[in-house]
Amino acid sequence: MKKYLEIEANYSNWQIFSLTFLRILIGWHFLYEGLTKLNTLGWTAKGYLLDSVGPFSPLFKGMVQSDSVIKIVDILNEWGLVVIGFCLFIGLLSKPCKISGIVLLSLYYLAYPPFASLGLNAHVEGSYWIVNKNLIEMAALLVLLMFPSSHSTGFDRFFVNKGVKQSK
Amino acid sequence: MKTYRRDFLKGMVAVPFLGFFAFAYKGNIAKELSIKSIDYQDILRIQHFEASEAKLQPPTGNISNVTRFGLVGNGWRGEDILRALGFVHPEKIKESIVNGKRNLWLNNFLKQEDLNLEFAGVCDTFEVHARRGYEISQNDIRPGGCNGKTKPAKIFPNYREMIASCEIDAIIIATPDHTHTQIAIAAAKAGKHVYLEKPMCHSIEEAIELRDMIRSTGVIFQLGHENRQQMSFKMAKEMYEKGVLGIVSMVQTFTNKNDLFGAWIRDKAFDHKLGNYDNINWKEFLGNAPWHEFDLKRYFSWQRYSDYGTSVAGNDFTHKYDCVNQVLSLGIPETVVALGGQYYYKDHGDMPDIMNAIFSYPEKGLTMTYDCTLKSGIYRQSHILGSEATMDIDNAIMMYKDDNSERYKDLNKDSDNPMYYYAPSADVDAVTSATALTYLKGGYGPTYIDGKVIDATFLHLKEWIDAIRGYGQTSCNIDAGFEEAVTFNLANLAYLHKKPVRWDKVNEKVIIG
Repeated sequence: MKKYLEIEANYSNWQIFSLTFLRILIGWHFLYEGLTKLNTLGWTAKGYLLDSVGPFSPLFKGMVQSDSVIKIVDILNEWGLVVIGFCLFIGLLSKPCKISGIVLLSLYYLAYPPFASLGLNAHVEGSYWIVNKNLIEMAALLVLLMFPSSHSTGFDRFFVNKGVKQSK
Repeated sequence: MKTYRRDFLKGMVAVPFLGFFAFAYKGNIAKELSIKSIDYQDILRIQHFEASEAKLQPPTGNISNVTRFGLVGNGWRGEDILRALGFVHPEKIKESIVNGKRNLWLNNFLKQEDLNLEFAGVCDTFEVHARRGYEISQNDIRPGGCNGKTKPAKIFPNYREMIASCEIDAIIIATPDHTHTQIAIAAAKAGKHVYLEKPMCHSIEEAIELRDMIRSTGVIFQLGHENRQQMSFKMAKEMYEKGVLGIVSMVQTFTNKNDLFGAWIRDKAFDHKLGNYDNINWKEFLGNAPWHEFDLKRYFSWQRYSDYGTSVAGNDFTHKYDCVNQVLSLGIPETVVALGGQYYYKDHGDMPDIMNAIFSYPEKGLTMTYDCTLKSGIYRQSHILGSEATMDIDNAIMMYKDDNSERYKDLNKDSDNPMYYYAPSADVDAVTSATALTYLKGGYGPTYIDGKVIDATFLHLKEWIDAIRGYGQTSCNIDAGFEEAVTFNLANLAYLHKKPVRWDKVNEKVIIG
């Protein structure tokens, strides 16, 4: 919370609007992804993990080796998406959520890294080389981390000490 | 005051949007899921799918009815069968433990139902393989464990002594084709139950003899066509019987291979380079086949020599035939023509590289074709052409409506896009065409039954063991086997004589030309 006290950035109206907009969009995206998986009977990341490519794929395939591990992975994934999405949406605990979001996205990125030699581009729409939508979303979260909005347009506002001077 | 309220509202700015999200998201998810899945009842115009509701037979084994089996022929298929029964080589266990942890394969293997079997005997004309069978029986890491007592399998010098043993109740035969009949008949005569690998027999005369012997002795017989356990074929059969395809007028089956191993040239495959004059019982291998001097090529690539093997028709067509026979109950054709030749693989036996055969069923108003090349590896699945819809089938199903279909005329799908897919790892509904295509190419692997994904070979062997213990019957019994044996042998005769051959079903005779 102390960090928020140090934020002296003076956002213009358009700046606060665009940062909030981006935060809500990413929150919506994560939340919908998580809820869809929770609502799909028997959803599991097993197939996705087994088909992973690239230098980290043994790590991902290793997650499928035992029933208990894959169950934990699935629960962490589904609920991680829901919690991060919900919190980003309303702007609560946004710093830990943004960091967790970056970590989660980096796992998706590493499971299917967009390099031509791995032959993934045959199945996706669009052409990607090193940079793909996961990486861009990670970068967007990084921007939000550097330029927070939840202390202003989110629930984090209510957890900042009222007596202290805050920015718009 | 004003500042406080403005600040409060600012903090809550996302809430109305969250409210909208919470209100509308469930409906959207439901819509998405329903688009991704398919209501088969509606599309296929059938009330109900019984095949997919099949339940797994519960375990029938316990300490009082342990079935003791002997394996004749422990080549690559013999070991596959042993693995399905829960017996695996210690090497394989070692490979499957990585950094002290069991891998996925081993975990699944150990979770397999324990069939309560005793691997009592093994025999093989290649000493190395017989020895491997013995080593496999020594391995005690198995489904259900073995309570610390591994009873080693006895290595018999030949099948006659194994069959004569009173410590064996059932025989599994995975030898070269030319010895199938003599071993199976000997086993049945001795009252031992028989699991016989496909193709059933080397000739039609042998098929008649074996059928009569199995029927008269009443032993439990299963022919190794595990497609009988594949959910895709069971569902296809139900769909056909409920009129989903309409009138079937043509069935197309294919073989496509494009390398030495695929063409059954296996001198150097597996551990075959360990074979030599001293560790192979050549005379026993020859059996009733015409005499020939010792030849490693003939021993390890036996499929390619008509003295021992049954050509492409016996090796591959029989698979495809039994699958479509299971769906359509075709039986034995009336007339068969076949043409082809050996143009590419010329130094191993007389197996043709190319063969096309046409099987005519005038009583059923349909023709089945077989199209084989060993010089093209492209994947072609069996097609069943009906007046209402066409079905592409293997482990998975893809079905296309006919443009002129009456039954599906309201269905908003053009004939290029599948109107229905089924793939074995998922439930009946939620499958995409990409998944179906991957499973189509899967070969004879796992199938989906009673909520679980289980290996079809395991199910097929289990069905045989359960039948031996008095539960249920075998689905690829001697009658199905007889149809398979006669049908493919007719094709081989047609190819050999370059004339149409006819099957006289009354007198059970072949008429050539």
